[in-house]
Amino acid sequence: MSSSLVPRRELKDKAVDLLLSDQFVLYLSVFYVLLLAPFLPMLVTPANLVNVLSNMWPLLIVAIGQTFVLAIGGIDLSQGAAIALTSVLGAVLITGAADPATFANTPIWGWLLTDAGGPLAGVDHGVVLAIAAMLVAAVIIGLINGMAVAMFAMPAFIVTLVAMMIFSAFALWLTQSGNVANLPDDFIRLGRGDIVSVYFGAKEEAKIARRAIYSLVTYPMVIALFVALAAHVLLNRTVFGSQVLAIGMNRKAAEISGVRVRRIIIAVFVLSAVCAMIGGLLFAARLEAGRPTLGGGTFLLDVIGAAVIGGTSLFGGKAKVIWTFFGVMFYVIMASSLSAMNLSAFQIDMVKGGIILCAALLDVLRTRLKRERVR
Amino acid sequence: MKHLRRITFGLALAASTAGFGSTASAANICFAFQDLETEFWVASHKAIVETLTEMGHSVIERNANEDVNRQLEQVRDCVAQGVDGIILIPQDGESAVTIVKEATSNDVPIVVFNRPPANNDNGVIVVADNAAIAETAAAFVLEQAIAAAPADAKLHAVVIVGDLGDTNAIQRKKGFEAAVANFPDRFDVTEVASDWDAATALANLEAAVTAKPKIDAMFTSSDFLFPTIRSVLEPRGMWKKTGEEGHIPLAGLDGDATACKLIKEGYVDATGVQDLYFEAEASVNAIVKAIEAGETDPNEVIADPGFALTSANLAEREMDMWGCKLLAEGFLDN
Repeated sequence: MSSSLVPRRELKDKAVDLLLSDQFVLYLSVFYVLLLAPFLPMLVTPANLVNVLSNMWPLLIVAIGQTFVLAIGGIDLSQGAAIALTSVLGAVLITGAADPATFANTPIWGWLLTDAGGPLAGVDHGVVLAIAAMLVAAVIIGLINGMAVAMFAMPAFIVTLVAMMIFSAFALWLTQSGNVANLPDDFIRLGRGDIVSVYFGAKEEAKIARRAIYSLVTYPMVIALFVALAAHVLLNRTVFGSQVLAIGMNRKAAEISGVRVRRIIIAVFVLSAVCAMIGGLLFAARLEAGRPTLGGGTFLLDVIGAAVIGGTSLFGGKAKVIWTFFGVMFYVIMASSLSAMNLSAFQIDMVKGGIILCAALLDVLRTRLKRERVR
Repeated sequence: MKHLRRITFGLALAASTAGFGSTASAANICFAFQDLETEFWVASHKAIVETLTEMGHSVIERNANEDVNRQLEQVRDCVAQGVDGIILIPQDGESAVTIVKEATSNDVPIVVFNRPPANNDNGVIVVADNAAIAETAAAFVLEQAIAAAPADAKLHAVVIVGDLGDTNAIQRKKGFEAAVANFPDRFDVTEVASDWDAATALANLEAAVTAKPKIDAMFTSSDFLFPTIRSVLEPRGMWKKTGEEGHIPLAGLDGDATACKLIKEGYVDATGVQDLYFEAEASVNAIVKAIEAGETDPNEVIADPGFALTSANLAEREMDMWGCKLLAEGFLDN
């Protein structure tokens, strides 16, 4: 009797270990792919894997910013608006030409934007300067959000909801809903440029079809991995990161312990807006246009969903960048598989919603299991 | 009757397909569209999917729900799945350029239905002559306004424009402006932005009508906004039939079933008609032809000349308009 109980307990312990492991969502992703691969073989084709990775990088960067905010027990609903505004701003500065039919009625026509393009069109290091301007705009958005939450103790939900409304409307007003195209190649390369491509096939092929060449290392990948690594160090290896998590666990206790709570909150919202801006830069570059509608629709569902699926707690105090990495990976694989099943966009959103709910329930379960272990 | 019409359309397409060689073997065709919000898109979607299916091809449908980034990812998914060709209804002209480039650079032929890319460098583009159609429809109501006003009186026209990131919206606006230019110094024009969104149009039209309630003519860049226009004008006592005191000459563009009904009832005076069935047939034929021929980057513009259905030519041309056909089939009764 006791001999059968011991292995059962060991099995249960191992299951709990697995559930509490940092790599849980990675294992889940692998299991999910292995489960579906016999029915959807395209899931494991090189072309699809390249697609999954390509879709993952911009989302990962934005989700990392959201992870910091969730870590302090907040939420940033204005990330989509930050993406829209900064992408429009950057594009307006560097566009090589603008159609008067689209932009003549905009408030920026004539002094910032003309039919010859923006003020940085053709200028040396124009792309770098435009990105710097986007960065400044993102920092301002983050400062406004952060100061409202930290100084006036306003709920992050309301502050960022209002910011979302104001900044997305401002982006639409600036271009009167027009998309700013004709962007320089240097900018576009950031969103879709290959650094290393591979081809699996006979060496003697005279002409290789483009669809047989797979992007292995791309600019978005390098940028996203750099941001992820920097964010990982910041959140999980520095005093700043510990203070962020401490605020999320118990703001009053953190204050009493000497944490400069207000400064940290402001810094976190700035980080979130900057991450949104970098993600938006990649989105704008891959779409070859600055768009005032970027980051709209169900985009925030993807961002928050990916972070929560990874294991970041909506209640704060529990977050790791590696969790978000795996969460985004699972989320993108799931979207790809649902799409391969020929489900409609609405069905896919319903399934995504269900999975986010499951992830939130799982978070509750993991918290309880951890508490039981401590006892 | 509805079924018979569908079969007839399918047979006609099959026959026309046979005209350029042997009937295509079953192909995998990705149909990526931006949404199904309006009657035009619903009817187009139905015509394209049913025709391809009846021809024996398998259709992979991708609805981007108005998200351009999602549409790009969906098209990439289709390419990764090894589809033979793509029919695309893009969200706007700029995203169409990027997505068409994505397909052709991966050697997948692509046809853009109705909403053209900002440039015609790649792909097959099936598009109506929006500027000419809009000008004809708008001219009809502007002439009515002038006929009803004292000579040399300054008149007020309202134009509801679409999302100006969409080439069709720009062309329709240009068509309206060309019609106004035919009557120099006769019209003050108020431009109302809709962004192809009924709620946006409602808010902006409310503001415009409140600011300047005397309206002598109105043109909407899409028929799907007629219910929105009605909801603004009716409470103000400005929604009147032709011949009634206070009727505002009103024109649109698309040729949908609602427009047909409203023209028959006398509330609307004209609409520019895009020949939906011609465009759907041309798109299907073009993609099948490219797949058959092994062409990976066919590049051609197929123009739909279109026409304007007005209260004056309703009796002769009613059944040339796709919306009137749908209306006759009970589309609005569903």
